Amino acid sequence: MGRDKHLPLTETVYYILLALTEPAHGYLIIQKVEELSNGQVRMAAGTLYGAIENLMKLKFIQPVSTDENNRRKVYAITDQGLAILRLDMERMRHMIAVTGDRI
Amino acid sequence: MKKYKHFTNFDKEEKWLNDMAKQGYRFVAKRSFCYEFAADAPDNAIIKVDYRTFKKKEDFEEYLFLFEDSGWTHLSGSKSSGYQYFRKADPRGSDDIFSDIDSKAGRYKRLADMWETMALTFIPILTALLVSKAIDPGVLLDPKSIYYTPGLWDMEGAAFWRAFLFETPFAILRGCLWAIPPLTFALYLIFAYKAHKQFKLTQENKIIR
Repeated sequence: MGRDKHLPLTETVYYILLALTEPAHGYLIIQKVEELSNGQVRMAAGTLYGAIENLMKLKFIQPVSTDENNRRKVYAITDQGLAILRLDMERMRHMIAVTGDRI
Repeated sequence: MKKYKHFTNFDKEEKWLNDMAKQGYRFVAKRSFCYEFAADAPDNAIIKVDYRTFKKKEDFEEYLFLFEDSGWTHLSGSKSSGYQYFRKADPRGSDDIFSDIDSKAGRYKRLADMWETMALTFIPILTALLVSKAIDPGVLLDPKSIYYTPGLWDMEGAAFWRAFLFETPFAILRGCLWAIPPLTFALYLIFAYKAHKQFKLTQENKIIR
């Protein structure tokens, strides 16, 4: 069975997509990723900027609005992004299931 | 204070800028090859360099917002300058503008691509120069041919030297002007090669910082 060529997602990309299930601007993404990962994934600005650019190109996320007050762009996950996130979750769920019985 | 310098390695450039800050020279701005410093108290600054150009002004703004929000002050760089300089402003923030190897290597990839494009733009110019025979390596074999003073080579003693030395700068200009585009082309290719090598090295994680 052929699987989506974007799988597996990197840990960072996974958390960014998960964070963007609710719309957020750039720095808020960094904070949410840190929170969601229990402080394990701390992204630096240059790395997040590149990741946003890349995920936009893949159409996994999209800009939804610009914050009127501070002019920062707000991003959100797309249906395509949501689909890939679910696929990766299934992949990991399977890994956990087969591992649990064996170790 | 102004200093003219050229780096092909971001890590060395950052180290130099940080060392300058330690000696009391605060980095202010960079214009092409010229770094501008202001005298200031010695400071353990952390300066980082990114390489990025932007199509739209709003993309550049968005990029700067993200860095400012993350505790970095933008020191120098414009929408199309490529080189972007940041100084760590938030003591609780991270010490680098990249948090993984791929993005850290990515800036070398963008730099290599830029030098490559610059080199490629020289190919039509070089072709035109070759076709029109303006590129003439023959002068290296017969340097006398670029001196136009009548009877120069029959002169003797002081008269010869006076005439010879007087014309030499003009002769060099005339005879070697054609060498500027090929040399520039070669220089850009070297820069592209060095950036690409650094990209590979960083990506292979041989440089752990």
